[in-house]
Formats: sequence, C-alpha cells, structure tokens
Amino acid sequence: MTYYTCEHTLEAMLSCIYDAWCSKKGHQNIELLLEPIDQYTLFDEYIHVDADMRKVEKVIDAVCRKISPTFYRELVYTYMAYEKHTLDNIYRCMILGFAYGANALKMMQYRDVMTHDQIRIRLGKEINRFQEFMRFHLLEGNVYVAHFEPKSRIVMALGPIFEDRMPSEHWMIIDDIHKEAVIHPKDEPFYHRTLTDQEFHRLLETDNYNDEYTAMWQNFFETIAIEERKNERCQLNHFPIWTRKHVVEFTS
Amino acid sequence: MFDIATKLSINEKLTILSDAAKYDVACTSSGVDRRGQKGMLGNSCPAGVCHAFAADGRCISLLKILMTNHCAYDCKYCKSRKSNDIPRATFTPDEICQLTIEFYKRNYIEGLFLSSGILQNPNYTMEKMVETLRLLRTKYHFNGYIHVKAIPGASDELLYSAGLLADRISINMELPTQASLTTLAPNKNMNNIIKPMNQISGTIAAHRMAIGKSARMERAGINKHLIHSIWGNTTERIEAQNDSGNLLIPAERKDAQLQRSFAAAGQSTQMIIGASNETDFELIRTTQNLYQAFDLKRVFYSGYIPINEDRDLPAIGTPVPMLREHRLYQADWLMRYYGFYAEELLSDQNPFFDNQLDPKCFWALTHLENFPVEINSAPAETLLRVPGIGPNGVKKILSARRYGTVNFEMLKKMHIVLKRAQYFITCGGKMIYQMPIEERFIRNQLTDLERTKVMEIEGQNVTYKQMNLFQDFAVR
Repeated sequence: MTYYTCEHTLEAMLSCIYDAWCSKKGHQNIELLLEPIDQYTLFDEYIHVDADMRKVEKVIDAVCRKISPTFYRELVYTYMAYEKHTLDNIYRCMILGFAYGANALKMMQYRDVMTHDQIRIRLGKEINRFQEFMRFHLLEGNVYVAHFEPKSRIVMALGPIFEDRMPSEHWMIIDDIHKEAVIHPKDEPFYHRTLTDQEFHRLLETDNYNDEYTAMWQNFFETIAIEERKNERCQLNHFPIWTRKHVVEFTS
Repeated sequence: MFDIATKLSINEKLTILSDAAKYDVACTSSGVDRRGQKGMLGNSCPAGVCHAFAADGRCISLLKILMTNHCAYDCKYCKSRKSNDIPRATFTPDEICQLTIEFYKRNYIEGLFLSSGILQNPNYTMEKMVETLRLLRTKYHFNGYIHVKAIPGASDELLYSAGLLADRISINMELPTQASLTTLAPNKNMNNIIKPMNQISGTIAAHRMAIGKSARMERAGINKHLIHSIWGNTTERIEAQNDSGNLLIPAERKDAQLQRSFAAAGQSTQMIIGASNETDFELIRTTQNLYQAFDLKRVFYSGYIPINEDRDLPAIGTPVPMLREHRLYQADWLMRYYGFYAEELLSDQNPFFDNQLDPKCFWALTHLENFPVEINSAPAETLLRVPGIGPNGVKKILSARRYGTVNFEMLKKMHIVLKRAQYFITCGGKMIYQMPIEERFIRNQLTDLERTKVMEIEGQNVTYKQMNLFQDFAVR
C-alpha cells in the first residue's frame, strides 16, 4: 500500500489527489491521508505532497469540465471536516464521478457516497451550530469580535453568513483551535487570515470585553425559561457542552 | 397598583417584561428569505435560526418581550391580568429598538417578538406597537425578523401597518370555543379573534398575488408528493366570513422605504391546552380548520401552567400537560408534513390520543391491512405513513431508488428508525426478521420502545441512567 499524505488545506489536498491519481498504481493500492499521521505502518510507503497551484488547477479543471461544476462544489464542500478519512473519501467519490457522471453523489448504494453524505450532513450541522451560538463582544471603535472552538475548519464557511447578516459593521470571527480568522471591514468584503501567535494572544483578551448588554442578555436568558418546564436533558441535546465555551450566558 | 415604570432601569424592565412574555410559545424566525443590505442591519433565513436554548429546552430565537404588562383585561389564566398584584412596567419604543439592535449585533437573537398587555384600549396599544416597529425599521434600519402580536379589537389600519412592518403577525386564539372564552376570558369574544384573522389571511393572499405568487403560502417541500393533504382542498372559510373583507390601506403603503410585502412569513396562532375541557379531537380539528380556512403557517399549543388561583382553572401545582402537548404537536406535524387528516387520527368515539403510543404508530396499528410496504416500489405517500420514516427519509429513499435497489443496511445508514419501521416494511419482498404482522405483538413492541420517553416527558422518576464522567465523577 502507498499512502499519499498532505496538510489540511484545500490546495494541498487537491495536489495530493493529483499525485495519487497520476501515480498509476491502481486505486485499490493507494490511500490518501491527512497529516499529522498518528502512527506510521512498518511496510508501507508514505509520500508527502506539497500544495502546488498548477496541480490544483488541473484537478479543478478536469472535474468541472468532465463532470460538472456543481459536482465539484458538492464534492469539495467536505474538505473542511475534521474527519481523518475525508480526503480519501473525496478521492473515492471523484473516481465514481468520472465513472458515472454528475449524478454519482446521489448513488447512495456506494459506501463512499454514503460516507460523503454523512460527513456533509455533520459538517452542515456544525456550521449551523456556530452560526447560532457565536457571541460577539463589542470593542472600542465599534468592532465586534467573536471567538469559537470548532472541530472542523469552518471559519471560511461562516464568513458569508455573517457578511450577509451584518454588512455594515466591522467584525471579526476567530477560530481559537486552528488560529485563523475572518475579518470584515464595514461595507467591504470579508477576508481570511491565518493568525500569528502574537496576534492570537493579543486577540484572546477580547473574549472578556463584556458590557451592560451582556449582563442584560444573561438576565433575559434566565427569566425566559419556565421553571415548571425545566428540562436539562433537552437543553443539552440542543446545546451541547462543547459548543458552550465562548457563549456568554454560560461562561460567567 | 401604581405605576412604577418611570423609576425602573432598562434591565429591570427587561426582567419583568420577558418574564411576562415567556408563556407565549411562538419563537420561530422562519418563513422569510431576505438577503442583507448595505446600510441595514440583518437578514432573514428561511429555515430560521435558534440562538440559544433556555433551561426548559425551548429555543430562544427572538427577543421575546411584552411592550407593557399593564392590562385592562382580566383573563383568568393570564399572569398579567388586571386583578393580579405584580410589578408592572412599560418599555418606551426607543428602549425596545436599542435592545433589539444591540442584542442582534452580538448575535444573541434573530429578531424581535413583540406582544403586549392591553394598555388603556386595543387601539392605543396597537398604535404604540406599530410606532415601535416603524422606528426599528426606519430610524434603526433593522432588516431582521419581527413577529408581532395583533391585538384583537384594534383598527384595520393599525393591523395593516403592523403587517407591513413585521414578517409574521399572529393573534392568539387561546381557547378554541366561545364557551371556554366566556368562562376564562370574559373580555374576549370569538368573533373579535376570527374576524381579524380572516382579514389578515385575505390581505396576505392579495399581497402574494400582487407580486405573482400563489394566493396560498408555500408549504414544506414534501407536500408536492402528496395528492391528498390538508392543503390540497380549498375549503370554505369558517365562521366570520360575513363580508369582513381585507384590511384597509394605511399611510404606510405610500412610504417608499416601506415597500414591503404584508406579513411575508404568514400568520400563526396559539391555543392553551389543559385549562378548559376541550378534547384532543376538537383541538386538532380546529387546527385543521384554521390551516385550511385561514392558511395559517403554524398553530402552537401551550400546556397550561397553573399560575393563578381560580375555581374555573386547574389548581396550582397541577402538573403541566407535557405529554398531551407533545402528542398534539406530533399530530400537527402529521397534518402538515405527512398528509394525514384530523379525522384519520381521532374520532368522536376516540377523542383523546393514546398515552403509550404516538399518533402515527397508533394509526398504523389500526390500519394493518395497508402493511407491509415495499420500500423499493411504494409511492412517497405510502412511505410517509410508515412509522419511523419521515419526509427526509422518504426523500433519501426516492433519490437512492433511482440508481438501484435499497436494502435494510442502507436504510440504517439513511437514519430510518428501523426499530419502529421494521414491523411495517419489506425490502425486495422480505422483512428484516421473520415477524408476525399482528396488532398485539407489534403494539407490545412499540409500547416498550416508547415507555422511557413517555416517563421522561411526564416527569416521572427514571431511576436508571447512563453514567457520565463529568457529572457523576466530577472529572474536568
């Protein structure tokens, strides 16, 4: 078995797929893995692939022209998921796409398509959760800053959602796990940024900028619940503890 | 009782007025798809967004407040009734706007839910509420979701303005019959509730047709697969159809900034469960009539929480009818998404839901002649009636069937609830195990599945549970 490994970025992943495909070793003899790898096996070959824009373009071009742009969009949507097998899954679904055409992702009979669908649904739920539970803090100069700790690298998916919600505000969303952020200046398009350690530590402090509206919200959160209907389990189902880390009504 | 409103801080007012509003059930922000705009704040997402879940497990999507809890009425079930001695407060329009805007920017809420007690008279109250909404939309440039309660008895012009400024407008029916209204809410009468509902639904339809949509609201996508659903037949309007007509056109219509459609997310209502003597059958039949006649988007049920002492009401300390409420919601979903009619679920002879079984399982057990259903060939309408298969499951099965056969393993992966569905389906002509299709056997199996859930909802002590490292052993 030959393992092709790469970093967890879309460019590196597509380059890795390109190299794996061109190796001509047979699809059943190769597997694609995301780094870091927990433990290497003894008798297999590991090939690291770096991001290369030339390869990326070739892959996108081939999928869009020979299958369809919609297929490409649906296929790579799962690249942000934290699941280790997501890269291999994209590769396997791509093989099916070249064999059966644009409808391949609807053929639930294939295990890989089913897995792709499961990852897609889970990822969608995660994005949805943080769209709901993101909490902004007001800084001086009318800048709103939010921190969150997702499992997958979803900060880029949240950018357009909040850009539509607050187009005329300065805001910034910081992913504390992967140390990346999306930044939105007032009335301008948002952009993505990987944070340096220094920037990140400076920004960590902003999590404590609370004001009277934070207190009012905490107050509202308490009073709106009906004592006679108290149901902690239901609350936990909808609002799991791992999503509550930066949510102001639970943090203080 | 004296007015202490002037001395209260905005935070204290929020405590009083959110506490008074919490018995209103509706907290949905769904039904409108509106993109954000530069210079404005907010958008609206068709599926709605819940921003938090309170200790009772209910979602908090909107800033749910009353404008005032002063009330001229004396409805027996209500906490804010005139005869109760409680702290009272009134928000000014600016305070409400500021709270909404600041909460919205911090992503705490998706919009505003504004209701109110009757301050002086219905018209005065409605005028104040409309003033608040107008301020929020024009001065504060708020483009998010607004749900407003219409006050029964307010003038047509004010209702029209409210509908134009808000996304959803609702009038609480509270009790489904005139008899219960007379006993429990002496200041209200059915005609005063039905008439504006009728007018609002007519106005929504007129507005929809004016922009090239169909007169009736869009319904869940699965309904297009159903030939016989409650949305199919356009029935006659009920009760107050005596030429009440549409609402009159107010000044707002000419305001260029407010070229909005009228209540784009439709109207809804709410009924109290357990305060009066209605049967479940009466409740769901009323619900069905409301959906068909007034094209309501939702009917909410609110299990009555005893807060007032009164000889006409359940005593304080009576448990909230949670299971009954749960069953009614299940039936409501069956009508809106599964193509069931109220008359199929219950009848005059059997007017209450089974405590042990959900309405869909109950229906399936009494119609065993329709089963088993073959997954690979049954039409969507039949699949939807199998317990354990919902609209999403049906869509997945239909999609997968186009490219090959479906087996039990795939159904499991599609998250079809096989523990319920297995008694009613075959794949390729075979059931998953060899089982008798016999009412008593299946009833025992299904009741056993539902047992712990029923106990949990009823608040009985479930003495066993899964151990949890964080709670039982204080691991951090």
